[in-house]
Amino acid sequence: MSELAIRRGAAPALAVQGLGYAYPHASAPALADVSLEVAPGEFVLLAGRSASGKSTLLKAACGLVPHFHGGEIEGEVRVADLDAIAAGPGELAAAVGYLAQDPETQVVSTTVAAEIELPLEMRGDEPADRARAVEEVALALAIPHLLDRTVDTLSGGELQRVALAAALVTRPRLILLDEPTSQLDPVAGDELIWLLRRLNEEWGVAVLLAEHRLERCLAAADRVVAMAGGRIAFDGVPKDFLAWSQTADPVLETPAARLFSLAGIDPLPTGVREARQTLRGMGITHPPNRSSRRVSDPHPSDPVLEAKNLWVELDRGEDLRDVLKGIDLTIRRGERVALMGRNGAGKSTLLRTAAGLHAAVAGKVEVDSIALLTQNPGDYLVRERVGDELPGDEGLAALRVVGLEEKVDADPRDLSGGERQRLALAIALAGRMEGELLPGMVALDEPTRGMDRARKGELVALIRRLAEQGDLVADRSTKPPCGAGVVVATHDVEFAAEFAERVVLLGDGVVVADGPAEEILSGGWYFATEVARVLDLPGVVTPERGAAALAGEGAP
Amino acid sequence: MKSAFAYQPRPWPLQSASPGAAIAYLGAIVAVAFLYSNPLVLVAAGAAAVAAGLLAGARRAVVVALEMGLVLALLIVVVNALVVSRGETVLARLGEWPLLGQVDVTLEAVVAGASGGLRAAVAMIAAAVYSACVDPDRVLRVLRPLAGRSALTATLVSRLVPVAAADAGRLRDAARLRGPGAAEVGKAPLARRLLAGSLDRAVDVAATLELRGYSLDAPRARNRRDRSRYDRRFYAVAATVLVAAIAGKALGADDFQTYPAVEIGFGPATVALSALVALSGLAPLKRRGVSTFSRIGRQSRHPGVARV
Repeated sequence: MSELAIRRGAAPALAVQGLGYAYPHASAPALADVSLEVAPGEFVLLAGRSASGKSTLLKAACGLVPHFHGGEIEGEVRVADLDAIAAGPGELAAAVGYLAQDPETQVVSTTVAAEIELPLEMRGDEPADRARAVEEVALALAIPHLLDRTVDTLSGGELQRVALAAALVTRPRLILLDEPTSQLDPVAGDELIWLLRRLNEEWGVAVLLAEHRLERCLAAADRVVAMAGGRIAFDGVPKDFLAWSQTADPVLETPAARLFSLAGIDPLPTGVREARQTLRGMGITHPPNRSSRRVSDPHPSDPVLEAKNLWVELDRGEDLRDVLKGIDLTIRRGERVALMGRNGAGKSTLLRTAAGLHAAVAGKVEVDSIALLTQNPGDYLVRERVGDELPGDEGLAALRVVGLEEKVDADPRDLSGGERQRLALAIALAGRMEGELLPGMVALDEPTRGMDRARKGELVALIRRLAEQGDLVADRSTKPPCGAGVVVATHDVEFAAEFAERVVLLGDGVVVADGPAEEILSGGWYFATEVARVLDLPGVVTPERGAAALAGEGAP
Repeated sequence: MKSAFAYQPRPWPLQSASPGAAIAYLGAIVAVAFLYSNPLVLVAAGAAAVAAGLLAGARRAVVVALEMGLVLALLIVVVNALVVSRGETVLARLGEWPLLGQVDVTLEAVVAGASGGLRAAVAMIAAAVYSACVDPDRVLRVLRPLAGRSALTATLVSRLVPVAAADAGRLRDAARLRGPGAAEVGKAPLARRLLAGSLDRAVDVAATLELRGYSLDAPRARNRRDRSRYDRRFYAVAATVLVAAIAGKALGADDFQTYPAVEIGFGPATVALSALVALSGLAPLKRRGVSTFSRIGRQSRHPGVARV
């Protein structure tokens, strides 16, 4: 009998039966007839497009739905034999841990040690037991060095680990995670997933993880549940999920699976290791990888940003710190540049300095006007009607550019995440989309957080349009293309491979690599696409290019 | 940017002390400031508060509080000088003012204002040192069994204030980044947006508290004996300062009169009390080079509980 079968014999960590739920005043239910069981110690990946019901299902499993959000609910939810609908989140706290997308709102104490200890204190545990549990969970998550720090001095990745520690400290049987890696760089994101797998294996805690970047966690999962329109559309093992997604919803395909399906190779791989094994079995060899090197500027157009020996110092809570350390960088019109690097490498600081929000302490940066969309598009939306944010002809023109002219009477809060982002971009661009006013540079800071691949595709199209069209509202046939330089700070390597022609990699405030996207995104391990990691072929980063390369190597 | 008054953990005596000991110590300095009007004693109390902050590593908090305190003191001096015309030594006759009538600025009113301003500045510096050096989580843990709902409110506020400050900064930045064709953002829409955002944040934080079991009726956990080896020192200094201040008051150490003419006493009792109060600012001094401590290893994060 397999280990999973044995686990399934025990009382389930989560049992959902015929669950239907509608948020208050919602026109359609968020969940409909959902039935699902998670066995003790099982690692389940929850897949699906944006607004498919993943987050609502997680909230129902921890009692926030309906206890905190209200609304109408039917069916049954049991967590470790507790009736979640009757019990509510407080009583469930000992049996289930929950980690949401934004770690900022999940910490309530001043210091890390107090934050992790709080659930135990609320449960009435003795001081000695609390001290031991805090120490053990800190060791398990490799954060003992953070215990004495205040939460406001932590990076996004550190804060996410602290929130995870607070969720795990009661030793729950089930942990629910809602896109926990969306704000993390590839390194921290991978670390978090494998940390979850280790806790799952060593502590036996069942994991229900909702994620958009499936390539990051599919190999770690025992099982995949895909949701669509509030219902369960698929429930099975990762291999079957890949076969299902090929036809049912290609947006959910992982890059490696797409690579294999384009190349006609079976079986579809759940991860890099499996893909490499399959290729090795087929006798497909890889040429040695080449290190990246600087290349001459492919764009002979005018520079729109020139940073020379740029130093920027910021107060990070404890002391002043040099965040940018002598950056030399030139961006030209029409270029599509991905700005990448670890959390805290200086990406946002570089864009904010270019936009005049930070001052240089040494060196200089010259910018030919910039439209910057910061990390939280909601910060741009201060009125209750889209048309009030963007009045007049200029406003309407801006809405047309981002495809929101139909939403002029809508409340910005009622728009989807992707629409809100486009509206914020329209606000940043409004009134400067023609002639002299056209910004030389459009900068987007982490625009893909919480986006599914379909929405990322829309954003790629918009970025291409901004870079290719100089005059966004004029007749293109009468004017030569002379677009803005588009710079996107992102952790999403697959997205960067889709839109960027050049990648600038920052590391601790300095440029560590700068070159064509295909070269940079295939020249490393963490900042490399899944296809690049599978094939290890210089310059091959997308499934399409990979399939072509495999065809050249004799794959079917 | 982090507030200068935000708590910053440091392995120094004032931060290591239990909340009760730290509050007793800083409270004693503030009590002296409110018991006495004599400028020499007030200056000594101010020096003690500044020294305590500097020795605890809260230099930024002390500097910002000093600036704010001096501005406040100046304001009190000006208002007192304009409003109170008592005193024998007229420095300036400013004629008839609306509402105030005849305004004569006297030396006595200026000195009385300076005394009041100095008192306010001392309280402000001590509060800044408290804010930067005393862990609010430990204070709330002490308060929670006594007043659960108040502690919950304090928890929400203490978390939401810095978050709202960060939100306000981001909203201001976004307002600066709007294109010329977008509607202008005045202070009112920004304030409304900040309020709405704060409410959303409050809901999120409340949800987190709910998930942590804040609403449980479980028997409240016993608090560990939240003590440090510095507690006795701070309690002893606080008691000494308070006893000396009360005794000094009885012995006439607060010899100070502003009206009709300024008389400042510098008698032995006043000088001795001032010296004692000023010296109390050295209580957070950390002794260095005690080899027995280095052999034991670093102090436990959970005093009173063995590390495992």
